[in-house]
Amino acid sequence: MKPCNLLFTCLVFCIACKKDIIPKKEGNFRLNFDHKIGTAALKLGATVYKNPSAEDFTISTFKYYISNVYLVKMDNSVQALPASYHLVDESKTDSKSILLLAPQGEYRAIGFKLGVDSTRNVSGAQTDALDPVLGMFWSWNSGYIMVKMEGASPLSAAANHMLTFHIGGFKGQYNAVQDIRIQTPISITVGPDREPAVTFAVDANAMFGQPNPVSFATSATIHAPGEAAWKISENYKNMFRITNVTDL
Amino acid sequence: MKQYVVYTCFVLALFWACRKSGGDARPATPTPYQVELPANFPAPVYDFAQNPTTVEGVALGRRLFYDPRLSRDSSISCGFCHQQFAAFAHFDHSLSHGIDNRNGIRSVPSLFNLIWQKDFMWDGGVNHLDVQPLTPITDESEMGEDLQRLIDRLNADKKYRSLFDGAFGPGEINSQKLFRALSQFMVTMNSFNSKYDSVFNKKAQFTADEAGGYAIFQAKCAACHKEPLFTDGSFRNNGLPWNEFLNDAGRMRITNSSDDLLKFRVPSLRNIIKSPPYMHDGRFYDIFKVFEHYSKGIEQTPTIDPIVKNGIPLSTEEQRQLYLFLTTLTDHTFINNKALSEILIDN
Repeated sequence: MKPCNLLFTCLVFCIACKKDIIPKKEGNFRLNFDHKIGTAALKLGATVYKNPSAEDFTISTFKYYISNVYLVKMDNSVQALPASYHLVDESKTDSKSILLLAPQGEYRAIGFKLGVDSTRNVSGAQTDALDPVLGMFWSWNSGYIMVKMEGASPLSAAANHMLTFHIGGFKGQYNAVQDIRIQTPISITVGPDREPAVTFAVDANAMFGQPNPVSFATSATIHAPGEAAWKISENYKNMFRITNVTDL
Repeated sequence: MKQYVVYTCFVLALFWACRKSGGDARPATPTPYQVELPANFPAPVYDFAQNPTTVEGVALGRRLFYDPRLSRDSSISCGFCHQQFAAFAHFDHSLSHGIDNRNGIRSVPSLFNLIWQKDFMWDGGVNHLDVQPLTPITDESEMGEDLQRLIDRLNADKKYRSLFDGAFGPGEINSQKLFRALSQFMVTMNSFNSKYDSVFNKKAQFTADEAGGYAIFQAKCAACHKEPLFTDGSFRNNGLPWNEFLNDAGRMRITNSSDDLLKFRVPSLRNIIKSPPYMHDGRFYDIFKVFEHYSKGIEQTPTIDPIVKNGIPLSTEEQRQLYLFLTTLTDHTFINNKALSEILIDN
């Protein structure tokens, strides 16, 4: 091979190494979470609310995991998305709006897990939203806290009238991970130069409502997986309502 | 000819120009570290693919293991309670000790062959080796530190920054890197070079007494303390009288099932003579007290294990031989392994 041929070949290789430009087949959509008590905005701190059993309480912490988001196409088939994990935290404004990537198309419903799937509960040290520094992982009984609500109530018999609801458990009959699937009032279209957004009203009071009403006088502390935690998870299944869709 | 040299140089220069640029100096990739495994053990439970061991990672894990700054008041390292000469148990301590002179409610388990263990702690509450250190680091009665504070402290430490960069590539230190480094050291703590193993591999012979003890072991102990790990990994109620001061329900705390009341992990008998005291609460300082318990100390409770329910009678002579057999489970190469020994950290 002549040296100049060799040089040419090299240059061809260099050109071949360039990244191909692939036409984008995906687009963004956004999920927003508005925290409420009934219809009032939830505020951390001194604001006194009434639970469904009409007992006074205040809230200092409210956070939960949203994971494994999926979309439902117009023909009702499920469009899975790459697994992602988000810790929605009332005290962190940014966390209450999640930007996701999905294949372009029209969708009629949104689904997700409220909590962290069992795989991630048994796979060792996790990072980002699942990092144990965030205080959502039980060290004595490995597993994630799916929903954490803390506060105070004059009816609580715990020290300083505290309320501690650390709800988790991913095993067996008391699995506290709940599957949520909600139809959107209008379809959303994921496409180029669009960012449809769905806003959920999240009523924290649902945790203490139906089907297993909670009275703070008798139940103010849950911080282990088990039946009591699971009963709360059956309540928080009903926490989400879609209040707004912008399909733009 | 000269032309060829020039062109070759040019081509090489092209390749050089094409290399990944990563700032001013490219960090060297860590050197793979092959963990030695015995032929006659089952496949490890630990998934090395998730956390490949490297020379740098193991060294970093070792440093972390012996660094008291992992505790809130910089007084207690992992190695403080896990002493190599006691097969990484806490010699002569019935219950775990922590900061501010606090006591835990259980004894310090020995550490070895962890890659074959599928859950951890006396009650099996921890489901992965990587998250095991989270418990002692954050427990109020042990190292009492807040995980975020510890991560911040490591990030503020130049030496640790460079060691973590070397083991995991450049970037912030996070808890995942901390736990993976500790695991990389712990997965090298393996014990399979005792006299028993030499006999198994036809490289040595038991004395008559040791052989007698082995026969007794096989007949009376091996059902739970299964070879070659000398544990079957199960949780059982072995009939220990209730300790009203500790009030320890055992595995029931984890499963919420009354079937698991008073059940605890079956510990390995490897290195057992080097790691007294015995049982989950360290109540027996002498192995002969353990023999006595199985012979005639069994307390009957609803969850008692059928295997020990009627006691395991052991004559004085049988106890003597059993003791001599158990000494053959001491792995001197393991407890004297320089690669696992304590390092002094002064920077």
